[in-house]
Amino acid sequence: MRKYSFRGGIHPLRDTHEGKELTRNKPIREVVAQVVRIPMDMHIGAPSEPIVKKGDRVLIGQKIAEAVGGIGVPVHASVSGTVTEVAAYQMMHKKPSMCITIENDGLEEWVQLAPLGDVETAAADKIIPAVKEAGICGMGGACFPTHIKMSPPAGKVVDTVLLNGAECETFLTADFRLMLEQPERVVNGLRAVMRAMGVKRGIICIEDNKPEAIQAITKAAAGREGVEVGTLKTKYPQGGEKQLIYSVLGREVPAGGLPMDAGVVVLNVGTAAAIADAVIEGKPLISRVTTISGAVAAPDNLLLRIGTLLKDAAEACGGYAKEPGKIFVGGSMTGVCAPNDEASISKANNGLVVFDEKDAQLPDESSCIRCGRCIDACPVWLNPYQMKRDYQLGKLDEMEKKLHVMECVLCGSCSYVCPARQYLTPAFKDAKDIITARRMKQ
Amino acid sequence: MNLRVSTGPHLLTRENTQTLMLDVLIALAPTTAAGIYLFGLRAAWVLCVAVIAAVLSEYIWLKLMKKTIVIGDLSAVVTGLIVGLNMPAGVSLWIPALGSAIAIILVKQLFGGIGHNFMNPAMFARAFLLASWPARMTSFLLPERLLGTSQAAFGVDMISGATPLVTKARNIPLSDLLLGNIPGTIGEVCKVAILIGLVYMLVVKVVSWHVPVFFVGTVALMSWLVGSDPLVAILSGGVLFGAVFMATDYVTNPMQKIGQCIFGLGCGAMVVIIRSWGNYPEGVTYAILFMNCLTPLIDRFSSKRVYGMVKKHA
Repeated sequence: MRKYSFRGGIHPLRDTHEGKELTRNKPIREVVAQVVRIPMDMHIGAPSEPIVKKGDRVLIGQKIAEAVGGIGVPVHASVSGTVTEVAAYQMMHKKPSMCITIENDGLEEWVQLAPLGDVETAAADKIIPAVKEAGICGMGGACFPTHIKMSPPAGKVVDTVLLNGAECETFLTADFRLMLEQPERVVNGLRAVMRAMGVKRGIICIEDNKPEAIQAITKAAAGREGVEVGTLKTKYPQGGEKQLIYSVLGREVPAGGLPMDAGVVVLNVGTAAAIADAVIEGKPLISRVTTISGAVAAPDNLLLRIGTLLKDAAEACGGYAKEPGKIFVGGSMTGVCAPNDEASISKANNGLVVFDEKDAQLPDESSCIRCGRCIDACPVWLNPYQMKRDYQLGKLDEMEKKLHVMECVLCGSCSYVCPARQYLTPAFKDAKDIITARRMKQ
Repeated sequence: MNLRVSTGPHLLTRENTQTLMLDVLIALAPTTAAGIYLFGLRAAWVLCVAVIAAVLSEYIWLKLMKKTIVIGDLSAVVTGLIVGLNMPAGVSLWIPALGSAIAIILVKQLFGGIGHNFMNPAMFARAFLLASWPARMTSFLLPERLLGTSQAAFGVDMISGATPLVTKARNIPLSDLLLGNIPGTIGEVCKVAILIGLVYMLVVKVVSWHVPVFFVGTVALMSWLVGSDPLVAILSGGVLFGAVFMATDYVTNPMQKIGQCIFGLGCGAMVVIIRSWGNYPEGVTYAILFMNCLTPLIDRFSSKRVYGMVKKHA
């Protein structure tokens, strides 16, 4: 069988099977939180506007915040109960996030839902509005509003939908369990997207370290119009949008462009499952599968309500095994650190990893020995060595124009392989932020 | 709860400068052992002095300059060992000591320490010593275990012998060339040991094949073109040792793979040019140093196209 791959990349934590062994064989378990704190800025775009106030009773799936601006999405209550607070909290973003806190009354009462019906027969033009109303945004980590991805501007031709089931990040097994246990949801979601966009070809892409998932998805996809399964070589960052498109289709996303500029739409498999729920059952996005791993007593794959506090998620896995030194959402390559364990699980959080004090230690930088590993590791073929030198010399223009730092996807591969422990990715993130701010000013 | 916040990646490879240097030392072990076996205890002394002098020079320099003592990264041990392996076994012991001190202080530390030197320290030290004390540096002992067959090829002088390159000896059995039954420096004679080291470094991915293959390949091809025996060209003198252990030095060779191919090609070509038309019978040292100087230029012109530098899809 052909295995899709790309030039560059790394194989992180190879000797511990990418850290996935901890949760690989743990079936998805639903845990319903007593309290949820739902941020208004889970998606990229303007934060949603709360439409409930303290003391209101809300039902599961009830809209509690309206979409704002061109790329906003609404937010829904993930439990039934009483709104106890509408206030700002420090989450994983730089600025505090407005949050709606709801105390669960345990009644699990749903609002009236308006399903569209079977994905093969539902009115195709109703699907994209339904996806927007369901508050769906990219669940692989980026959280870009999905209805925008599904609505390319006039003149853009999208011919392929790629479902991203690579899950190349370390520690995470949420997508794997979802594909294994509920493959029909994933396939239904893909078909809904294909029909809504009028695309004839859909490929579900899975790394070859998940043969069970490939098998389950292949079985569920049998006989479905235009649906293929693609096997990817296990390699990081195979699940990066740009790398996935290059691996499977041999196309490159033009610099500064979007996947649709390469004629492709890429969606995470979890997003596809949420789309299937929105179309078939009319359910908005109120829960997601999240891998809880690292220094917790019993690492697990949990189906969590959006807004579950990190400490409650850890508690559901037996609590901390050791005093935490670092907590981040996502895998160890690109995970975003939480300031404390009272931050909450958002629509994009596929993992929560706890490190003890030892693993949390930051390394000391030593002199670069010009070994070139960073250059070989870069999946977008940049020169991290040169970029770091220019960064230290403050040559940001050089970095932007000659070295194309803005194409850096911040995957962390260069930092991972660096034997001198150079802080490469943090430097490039900083440079990108400064250059972006400069561009905004102009 | 005291949580750290940082940008990813949060876990890193276990490989670091020290482990890489340790792998190079492991790769040098067969060559070192072969050198001591062939030339006797005398060779062991030379190597010991070279290594100790290198580490000591680095320690003293860093201490005097009030810098962090980084001798634990083992890079000075590697440099010292390579300086020693580049010596004839019978050399006076102050020569390897001086060589190591030059390599560490003049070439490495004065330019900013590890990673900042533009020439291979051991290579420069050898060139310096070769230019200053040519007689001492080229008085090669014949291996103690030299077989009778080869003895005939080099004459009866058992104290010092010219390398096969000087004598232009053609009748040395291939097995002697491979196993090291020829005169030469401590490290360069036993080709089998060098190749074992190369295989180890390739397997543990400390170096890639590009520089050694292009270096040796070019020497073979060009030697054949100028009418010498390509096999003798590769297996006599320091081509293999240089290509495997010195041209592959991270700091002083290009970082891009395409650049490394050009670098290897250049080294190989320079060796044959020096051997054929230069004053020296051996050209590996100067070839590598010459290409070291060209490394920044090669790096500059061997950049790859960045992902996404394509036209937009309709």
